[in-house]
Amino acid sequence: MIRGLWDRETVALLFLAALLPLTVTWLSVEGFAEGGRLVFLLVFAGLWHLVFMLARAQPPSFAGVVTALAIAILAPPDLGLPYLLISVTFGVVMAELVFGGWGRNVLNAGTVTLSFIGFGFPVAAWPELAVHVGWAAIPAALLGILAGVFSARVIAGAAIALGIAYWAGVDLSEVLTAVMVVAVLLVFDPVTSATTRVGRWLYGALFGGLVVLFTVYWAGAAPIQLSVAAALLASLAAPLLDEMAIAVWLAQRRRRLG
Amino acid sequence: MPVLWTESGSEGTKVPWPYKSGLNIRVADDPPQAGPIPEQITEEAGITADWEDDFRIEPLVKEGDLVAQGAPVFRSRRHPEIVVTAPMAARVATIGLGAGRRLSRIVFFREPDAGRHAYDTGAAHKLEYPEAVREILQQTGLWRLLRSRPFGQVPQPGETPSAIVVMALDTRPSAPDPRIALKGRELDLERGLRALAMLTSGPMFFCQDMGSEVIDKDLLPDGGKLIRSPRQHPWGLAGHQVHALCPASPNRPVWDVHAEDVANIGAVLETGLIPETRLVSVSGPELREQRLVRCQPGADLRGLSFGLAKPGQHSILSGSALDGHEARWLGLRDRQTTVIEGQAGGHRHHWFLSALQRASRPLPIIPTAAVDQAMGGVMPAVALLRAVASGDSETATRLGVLSLLPEDLTLIDYVTGAGERYSDMLATLLTRIAKEEGL
Repeated sequence: MIRGLWDRETVALLFLAALLPLTVTWLSVEGFAEGGRLVFLLVFAGLWHLVFMLARAQPPSFAGVVTALAIAILAPPDLGLPYLLISVTFGVVMAELVFGGWGRNVLNAGTVTLSFIGFGFPVAAWPELAVHVGWAAIPAALLGILAGVFSARVIAGAAIALGIAYWAGVDLSEVLTAVMVVAVLLVFDPVTSATTRVGRWLYGALFGGLVVLFTVYWAGAAPIQLSVAAALLASLAAPLLDEMAIAVWLAQRRRRLG
Repeated sequence: MPVLWTESGSEGTKVPWPYKSGLNIRVADDPPQAGPIPEQITEEAGITADWEDDFRIEPLVKEGDLVAQGAPVFRSRRHPEIVVTAPMAARVATIGLGAGRRLSRIVFFREPDAGRHAYDTGAAHKLEYPEAVREILQQTGLWRLLRSRPFGQVPQPGETPSAIVVMALDTRPSAPDPRIALKGRELDLERGLRALAMLTSGPMFFCQDMGSEVIDKDLLPDGGKLIRSPRQHPWGLAGHQVHALCPASPNRPVWDVHAEDVANIGAVLETGLIPETRLVSVSGPELREQRLVRCQPGADLRGLSFGLAKPGQHSILSGSALDGHEARWLGLRDRQTTVIEGQAGGHRHHWFLSALQRASRPLPIIPTAAVDQAMGGVMPAVALLRAVASGDSETATRLGVLSLLPEDLTLIDYVTGAGERYSDMLATLLTRIAKEEGL
């Protein structure tokens, strides 16, 4: 009869709260000009949410703020305004809103926007993230785990994959900052991650593994570009990983319970 | 914190199993568990059924008749073997029947002089013939305390379950501790367990908390297993235990029953008298004092909370704050009543503000740690909930939804604060599956 508070918007706000250390660090490093870009993206993504609210009775979500933040931090700064608007529209509308909003989407809107930029405008130069921003991703991840928004299994899976690569001698120093920021902003999104226990380990490990693969074999790719590509492929594989985990769970159950 | 769950069979082996977890919701202070527990027989009592239950009956008494406690008052028209008995010595006040002689409610006024009805337990007393046990349970109305999964009905008279789950653990907020109800009743409990074990060909699981053994492992009947679970919701709900231990399906029904009811079965077999009371907690944020009482089944909930409620509008629930429903009488299997704040009348917002909050479709579930824990932590919770929400009966069945009942998803309803309740969606899905199965 009684009702708790953890509805979709509370989770979205907790997600945002977890990202605060990262946001503050990024703003303090980049200055107010970048802050203006964030505000512009917030308004633009908000407009699309408003359109879908009026046309489809789909309430807007604070998750749109996370998307705007991810794009503001990770998108190429000198991409022309029309291209940016087309990319954001494609990501926000086609990846999230047409599926019914945050919670029903298969891919993260930010991931799709950035991948779209990567495929559509390959000459745009990706930003170089300051090391501080990478460090700020660590408290953000911890806050996310504490709030129950991020899964510790995903994070551990990714850390193990990257750790093994480091131990095997792969040089990750160039890409690590971008990987951590992309992970916190895009990969750990609870909606587009795997949802089963085993699936989450595999999902994290797959992201880490793809990052390592691209670092070694994708010559000339910017750190953000290869991290976003890894995030996109990992999200695409997430439902499959869940299916595998459930199949194993069912087989175990059949064996144990008949 | 997750607690390691161990299963100890009658042979004493311990089998480690993945971590169980849960969430305990605190709605009000727990009632004091120590000290004497008052007995409170309310002046009125009632037996009710919902229209959906479609419980068609044949009354055995008339309005105004005096009935002894435990005497038969009506029987099922579909299964005349199944009888319902008077909850207390009383005069029958009203018999409310709906169309098709469906039970709506029967109300009793207390008449202590009417005495107690004694049954001749005869052949069942020695626990030799399963049929005799079955018959006495149906005659005394105790049969209705058993619940058969899938679909949560009273078992068919001839049904043989593939397993029986006995719950000596209740983790609903402010629920009475079954240990208190069972204190000093070990012999009744043992007898009841032996009687129930005769009705199944499969195992019997006795679920309790991680503390000392409620019943000595050696006293469990053959095929009995002691299961220890953390005192974390939802592990005190039978559905999650059934899901983990012995999944139910239409051709393999599983029964669940509360341990106190099992002790009552034992007592009836021993003495022929149906015990008069059950342990009930009266609690809630709108009460000045939380307490445990022993009252009759079907007790008047207003009578139980009389003089305890804070001033103001409130609703009285039969059941806990999570899975209860507004009621006048204590439900068939309920062991607690909760008094919560009354629901305020509709407050109209501007359409734009409403559009920001309300969706044309219910908002989706976000797979957070809270969702995993509210489903006990060992099943693929999000996949199951998504299947329930989208009405995908095939996937839901594959993931074990037939072991669950709406009450098992009430913690999810609380945790997600969802506009559309998962427990309601599950009820709809189960009704549909039952129809498809031709039940």
